[in-house]
Amino acid sequence: MTDPRFAELQQRLAEVTDLTKAATLLFWDQRVMMPPGGAAARAEAIGTVSTLAQERFVNPDIGRLLEELRGLEESSDYDSFEASLIRVTRRDYEKATRVPPDLVGDLNRASAVALSAWGPAKEESDFEALRPYLETNLELRHRYIECFDPADETYDVLLDNYEPNMKTADVRQIFDQLKEELVPLIQEIGAAGEVDDSSLHQAFDQGAQREFSFEVLRRFGYTDDEWRIDQTQHPFMTSPGHGDIRLTTNFRPDDLSSLFATMHEFGHGVYEWGVDESIAGTPLGSGVSLGLHESQSRTWENLVGRSRSFWRFFYPRLQETFPGQLRSVDEEAFYRAVNKVHPSLIRIDADEVTYNLHIILRFELEQELIEEQLAVRDLPGAWNARMEEYLGVDVPDDAHGVLQDMHWAGGGFGYFPTYSLGNVISVQIWERLKEELGDVDERFERGEFGEVREWLRDHLYRMGRKFTPQETIERVTGSPIDAKPYVRYLREKLAPQAV
Amino acid sequence: MSATAPAQSPLERLKEILAELADLGHAEQILDWDARVSMPRGGAKARADVAATLAEFSHQRFVTDEVGGLLERLAAEEDPDSADGALVRVTRREWDRARRIPSDLAGELAQANGVGVAAWDDAKTSSDFALFRPHLERQLELKHQYIACFPEVDEPYDALLDEYEEGLTTAKVEEVFGRLKGELVELVERHRDDVVEDLKGPFPVAAQHEAGRLVLEAFGWDPSSWRLDETPHPFASKPGAGDIRLTTHTDERDITSLFSTMHEFGHGVYEFDIDRSFARTPLGGGTSSAIHESQSRTWENLVGRSAGFWRWFYPQLQGLFPDTLGEVGEGSFVRAVSAVRPGLIRGDADEVTYGLHIILRFELERELLAGTVEVQDLPEVWNARMREYLGVEALDDAQGVLQDMHWSAGLFGYFPTYQLGNVISVQIWRRAVAELGDLEEQFARGEFTLLREWLREQIYHHGSRYSPPELLRRVTGSEIDPDPYLEYLRAKFA
Repeated sequence: MTDPRFAELQQRLAEVTDLTKAATLLFWDQRVMMPPGGAAARAEAIGTVSTLAQERFVNPDIGRLLEELRGLEESSDYDSFEASLIRVTRRDYEKATRVPPDLVGDLNRASAVALSAWGPAKEESDFEALRPYLETNLELRHRYIECFDPADETYDVLLDNYEPNMKTADVRQIFDQLKEELVPLIQEIGAAGEVDDSSLHQAFDQGAQREFSFEVLRRFGYTDDEWRIDQTQHPFMTSPGHGDIRLTTNFRPDDLSSLFATMHEFGHGVYEWGVDESIAGTPLGSGVSLGLHESQSRTWENLVGRSRSFWRFFYPRLQETFPGQLRSVDEEAFYRAVNKVHPSLIRIDADEVTYNLHIILRFELEQELIEEQLAVRDLPGAWNARMEEYLGVDVPDDAHGVLQDMHWAGGGFGYFPTYSLGNVISVQIWERLKEELGDVDERFERGEFGEVREWLRDHLYRMGRKFTPQETIERVTGSPIDAKPYVRYLREKLAPQAV
Repeated sequence: MSATAPAQSPLERLKEILAELADLGHAEQILDWDARVSMPRGGAKARADVAATLAEFSHQRFVTDEVGGLLERLAAEEDPDSADGALVRVTRREWDRARRIPSDLAGELAQANGVGVAAWDDAKTSSDFALFRPHLERQLELKHQYIACFPEVDEPYDALLDEYEEGLTTAKVEEVFGRLKGELVELVERHRDDVVEDLKGPFPVAAQHEAGRLVLEAFGWDPSSWRLDETPHPFASKPGAGDIRLTTHTDERDITSLFSTMHEFGHGVYEFDIDRSFARTPLGGGTSSAIHESQSRTWENLVGRSAGFWRWFYPQLQGLFPDTLGEVGEGSFVRAVSAVRPGLIRGDADEVTYGLHIILRFELERELLAGTVEVQDLPEVWNARMREYLGVEALDDAQGVLQDMHWSAGLFGYFPTYQLGNVISVQIWRRAVAELGDLEEQFARGEFTLLREWLREQIYHHGSRYSPPELLRRVTGSEIDPDPYLEYLRAKFA
């Protein structure tokens, strides 16, 4: 027998979820389908629907129901749907109601305005043009932080939006470990001489890339019944409803990087796809944190898509697709090319190892900005100095430096660390998976990815947001977040003696 | 922040609420367009839930006492001839109707539509009426609940018609259709055996797309505000101002996609040319289904099947299909695309038989609602009536009773507006010719701007400012009248 108050809570939350899903679709459509003439009307529509969703959620009736349902929560099994929904919703509700609607509006508007300034600033490589917007964003972040009880570190409040319950101190500890291990690894690799990856930089027909990517995705589990893929300038994944997973990618005419972008987005997609049907359409029905989400995109992009065994199966097919370009490149040379480690300027083009230093740099800088140890006007100088220090590269201009990412313009302070946390988590989960499934390489060599996907679904994807990210990691791997497996993996795969 | 926000006038407050509702409507349009164009099938169930929630939610926010109070106050204050007066009138009519419908019924209707369309799609694919039957029964049950919210109507079907066509009654439709039916059956009989050369394909899809693009561009299509996609069933949609979406269906066995593209352009251009100051208000859409259809039929038939149009476009079309059309003369081509050919499919019907497809649907949906035809017997009754009116034999239900999606989407009372649109299109056309002179001579030069501008000023610009009968009176000086249409058909097929 269902408690009628629980049914009412579910009903209220379904309305919020549906409004949010409508906004999700409006957003997807804007980026993939909408003619530019529709932009003004679309901005209004997205604003209205998102605001209504927020208003409906912070409604005091939901707070009252959550209070009244404490008894049900306590008498139900921790893992049950009822207890999980009440617990997770209470946490979301307590956070959401801390922030006055006016401030939410100010935050969203400031981000939108700053994002429109970011494009031209990057184009012109003109940091000064963006500076006032960043200053406003930071000022608003301080107002946001003031809505919460004082944390151990100011940055904790922001981090919590992307990686719930994670503390700055935990991230720092993990990142210090990464930095300590990876800086020397990069130097060792550099000393061994540069890998030739010119085979990747040739003219590749975009239609043929698309066909090949489809072949890969279908073997991973993509079906036309539940997925679609489109072309956009910046790849992304979104799901406007259960059973409806949308990826985008950007096939480029002169390199093969989009093959990896496509597998990356598949990883995000398959996580959403695998959420258990019984919690779909509820606040529990999506990935639990950005770190966990990124762990899955990196799993499919790197642990699968940059593995030897993956290419053992797919490389002959890729050669058939591009005989002119790849006939004379053998599998080993190709494998090395797609795994080339080389310090560079741009985060999104970075390899598996140096990527983390791009993230650590951002994590450090945004903390210093938030703690007011670094002024916005000094940011480009600090950026360039740290790029030199960590990666030994010289930043030629701000477009290739501090202006390259949109996150800060969009107000996403606290977001960056989740990228590297995802890398760390991906290998923890992978090790556990291999303990249970045995030799996955042997399956990949035969083009079989179904068992891996199903294992991940059963052990991770199904849970959605029922548990905290920390609980989720412990349930999957049996231990808390730990950088050691990841560092070991990178060293084994990429240190010079291993190649 | 200062504590005293400037006081909002009742009109400003009403517009604020309506803008929010228009934004929700924008989202609903995208949910629907996406479901038909881009959504993977697996998303159908969740999509129906989202659409239902939005419908119910919009409804709740519209039928409030606050909106009623504002409307009452403004009805007394605003000049009824002003645009704001029209806004109040149109909103009040919608509010009065919506207020009758409980919000949960509004949600159930949207839910049944989402699920019904998906079921219809499957049923049509496998030509299996049994798959669709429970959904159709559910739709009828909901329609009865809906009609019950309007106890004052003389005829239950009036409650449905009024949703699409303000002021239209069943009696009026019967009168117009009664006048048409005999004449159309006679015309069909007279021309059934006309010897017309058939066009032999194939017509490659890419070249058809190119033909569509050339025509649309000449009509005034512009990629910064319009898009065109492929769907099994063509339609037009406007999620928001400056965003017009047409779809077409291209099959290389024939060139019908060109006509459906022009048809949807007619719907699109009406919406595109509406006064932008009406955006995000109930005035910001076409005034009724029949007036809308009059415009789609204008661009498809009165323009797109005219001799002048083909004098301009046929050489280009021949260039796109040299193998299939190289030897076909312009005259034979124009006869072939206009010929009277009784067939099974409404969407492919010529200008004469089309009306009979509609009359059949109008009759059947009234019988379904009255319970004189049972859903389980519908396929048989359908086939018998097709035999009677058009002398054609349905091969299967996919080409019979399952061909149209309308009933699956709860659109009962909608079909008549198609035929009324045909009737109205010729009434308006006569007026355009009287004012603009020889249009076909302009078309023959590839010029369509004068016509479009005239239609914009006379019709499109006004959005829903005038009710359909008032608009028709303003443009043509008369009420709906089937005679010009019948004269047009008789002359064309003489």
